[in-house]
Amino acid sequence: MAAGSPDVGDDLASVRDELRAVARDLLRKTPPATPADWALFASAGWLGLEVPAFLDGADATFAEVAVIAQELGRAAAAGPYLGAIVLGVGALRELPPCAGRDTLLRQAANGDALGVAVLAEGSADGAVGAGPAGERGRTETAAPFRLERAADGWRLHGHAAFVPDAARATRLLVLAREGADGEPVIVDIDPRASGLRVAPQPVLDETRSFALVTADGAEVAEGSVWRFAADPRAAAARLLDRAAVAVACDSLGLAEAMLDATVAYARVREQFGRPIGSFQAVKHACADMLVAVAVSRELVSAAVAALASGAPDAGVAASMAKAYACGAALDVAGKAMQLHGGIGYTWESGIHVYLKRAALNRALFGSPAAHRQRLAARYR
Amino acid sequence: MTSAGVDTDEFRAAVRSWCRSSVPADWRSAQAGVPEAEYVAFQKWWFAELRSAGYAVPHWPARWGGGMSLAEQVVLYSELAAHDAPRLVLAFVAIHHAAATLLAAGTDEQRARHLPAILQGEIWVQGFSEPEAGSDLASLRTTAVRDGDRYIVNGQKLWASGATHADWCLLLARTSPDAPKRRGISYFLLDMRSPGLDVRPIKNAVGESHFCEIFLQDVAIPAGCLVGEENAGWQVAQATLGAERGLTMLELAERLGNAGFRWLVASCARLGVLGSPLVADRLAEFETEIAGLRALCRGLVERHEAGRAGPAEASMVKLYYSELLQRLMDFGTQIEGLPGMEVLRKPASSGWESGAWMLDFIGSWEWTIPGGTSEIQRTIIAERGLGLPREPA
Repeated sequence: MAAGSPDVGDDLASVRDELRAVARDLLRKTPPATPADWALFASAGWLGLEVPAFLDGADATFAEVAVIAQELGRAAAAGPYLGAIVLGVGALRELPPCAGRDTLLRQAANGDALGVAVLAEGSADGAVGAGPAGERGRTETAAPFRLERAADGWRLHGHAAFVPDAARATRLLVLAREGADGEPVIVDIDPRASGLRVAPQPVLDETRSFALVTADGAEVAEGSVWRFAADPRAAAARLLDRAAVAVACDSLGLAEAMLDATVAYARVREQFGRPIGSFQAVKHACADMLVAVAVSRELVSAAVAALASGAPDAGVAASMAKAYACGAALDVAGKAMQLHGGIGYTWESGIHVYLKRAALNRALFGSPAAHRQRLAARYR
Repeated sequence: MTSAGVDTDEFRAAVRSWCRSSVPADWRSAQAGVPEAEYVAFQKWWFAELRSAGYAVPHWPARWGGGMSLAEQVVLYSELAAHDAPRLVLAFVAIHHAAATLLAAGTDEQRARHLPAILQGEIWVQGFSEPEAGSDLASLRTTAVRDGDRYIVNGQKLWASGATHADWCLLLARTSPDAPKRRGISYFLLDMRSPGLDVRPIKNAVGESHFCEIFLQDVAIPAGCLVGEENAGWQVAQATLGAERGLTMLELAERLGNAGFRWLVASCARLGVLGSPLVADRLAEFETEIAGLRALCRGLVERHEAGRAGPAEASMVKLYYSELLQRLMDFGTQIEGLPGMEVLRKPASSGWESGAWMLDFIGSWEWTIPGGTSEIQRTIIAERGLGLPREPA
C-alpha cells in the first residue's frame, strides 16, 4: 500500500496537508449544524477519495478520508459523510467489482446518491470489530440482520438502532448473515422496500442524524446479495474499525477546535485587570487540554495509518484511538465550557454543540470501556 | 519511521542475540542491598559492556561513537527493556545532558577532551538547583568571579544526583550580579576533584542517598571550562536541556512499555486479578496511554532532528511521562496491597522498574519533581506552546 511506503510518504503527507487546509477553509464558512452542501463536498473531491479513478474517484486511501472526518469534527459539521462515505463507500470497497457496486461507487463520488451502510447498533457496546482471535460474538453482533431463503429470492429480518445518516439514504447497504450463523454479506436494498422501515431517531446533538432500521421479511432480489471479496468476518470487523476510527478523527478535530477557541478566549477575556489566561489555574487547564489533544493525535494517526495500509494489528490501534480520543475530547470540550465561564454555557456560544457531539461520539461505535475490553482480551 | 523494515528486523535480531548472551540473568538478586561501591562497579561494568557492543551512546553523532537512526534507537531501547537489562543510572547525565551541552555549545577542545572520556566511563553530575533556586532556577546565587585565567566559585548546589561518584559537574553560576537575573548566569564544566568542594549525600523518600548537596568554597575553574559566552549560560542551558528533556524520554518510554506494563500484567496474573473487568479496564487504559506516549516521544525526536520541534514539546512529553508513570505505579501498589509494603529494599541499578510497586510508587515523585516540576512544565506548555500571557511579575 502506498501509504505505508517510505518513498512516497512525504508526498502523500503534503497532499494531505493541502487537503486539510482546503477543507478547513471551506468548512469554516459553514456554521455548525447547518445542512452540508453536498454538491460542494462532491466538487471538492471529498466524496470519491477512496473511489477508483475510472469510477470518477481519486484513488486515494482511508488516510485522506480521515483528514476530512477530522475537519468535519473541527467544524461540528452536519451531513451524511460518516454513513455514506466512510461506511457506505467503505463497504462497497470490500466487495468484488460488479455493475451494481460500480454504479453506487460512481454515484457516491459524484454526490448523486447516498448509499448508507447499516452496521451494528451504533450505541451498542457490541459494536466493536472482532479481534485477531478468540473473541466470540462480536461479528455476530456486528451483523444484526439475517437473510432467509424464499422461493423468489431472499427475505431480510432484523433491526439496527442509531444507524448514522440512514434517514436520508437512497440505498441501504445492510450487513447481514445468511441464516442463523452464516458468513456476513452486504445486502443492497432500497430504503422504501416493503417490509423495511427507517424511523428517524432525533438526538440532542443536532449536528447528527440517526435512524432505526427495521427489516421484517423485506424482499431482497437474488442479485442484491453481495459477498465480500476476502474473508467476510475480517471484512465486517474492518468496517467496524473504520467506523470507530472515523469517529475518533471527528473527536480529535472537535477537541482541537475547543482548545483553539479556549486559548483565544483566555488571551483576551480580562478579570482582576489581566487576561484570565495569565492565571495558573486557567493556564494549567489549557496545558492539560493540549497534552490530551497531542496524545489523541498520535493514537489517531497510528490507527489511520494501520487501517489505510491494512496492517494486521489495525484493530488494536483502532480500539486505542477510539477509547482515548473520544474520552479526551469530552474532557477537552467540558473544560472549554468551564473556562469560557457564563458565556460558555449559553446556547449562542455554540460550545454546547461540541460538548454534545463529543458525548455522542464517545458512545458511538463502541464505548471506551468496550474498546478497552477488546484490548484486555489479549492479556490473558 | 524512516528506516526500511528489513534493516530494522536484522538489527533487532542482532540486539536480541546480544541481550541474550550479555544481560546477566540474576543481576537483580545480585544487586539487592549491595554496598554503594559494588553498585558503582556494576554500573561501570555494564556501561563498558554496552560500549563494546556499540550500544552505549546510540543517540550521539557517528563521529563520536553513535550515529544510530531513530528507528534503530527505538529498537535498541525496546529490546534492552524487554530483556530486562540494567539501566544506565550513573552515566545518565554524562551521556545525555553533558554530551548535548558539549555538542551544541562546547568548543572543539572541550568536545575532544570530554566526549571520548564519557565513552570511557567519565561520570557527570548536574549542578543547577540551589536551596533558594528550585523552580525559579534563574534566581540562583552561586557566584563565579573572574580572576585572570580562571573563575573563583562560591555557593551551594542542591539535588545533584550521583555527585558522590561524579568526575565532572555541569555548573551554573552567576557571573554578573547586577544584570537581569537570566542575563548574568554562566555555564561551566567543573572538575569534581577541585579543592574547595564538599559533597554531602541527602537521603531521599525511598531511603536511598543518590542525590547530594555540593558546597563550593573558593573553587577555581579554568577559563577554558566556560561553555558559550560569559553571561550566556542561561541560554545555553535552555537550548540544550529543553530538548534533552524530551530525548531522554525515548528510552524511558520504551522501558515503560516493554518492562513497566509487562510487569504490571504479570503482577495482575500472579495475583489472580486479570479476569476482573475493573483491572482489565485499567490495564487497557495504561497500554493505550503508553502507546500514545511512545508515539509522542518518537515524534518529538523526529521533529527535533529535523529542527522542527515545537517550543513546548519536550515539556509535554516530560509531564505526560512522569504523571503516567506515577499512575501506573499507584495502580501496581493497589493491586499488590499490603504484601507490597513488605518489600523494604529494591535492587540497585533498577531505577523505577524494580517490580517493587510500593517503592517504585514512592520513587515516582523523582520524575514529577526534578527537571522542572509538573507545575512548571504546565506553565511552560501554556506560555510557550499555546502563547498564553505570562504571569505579571
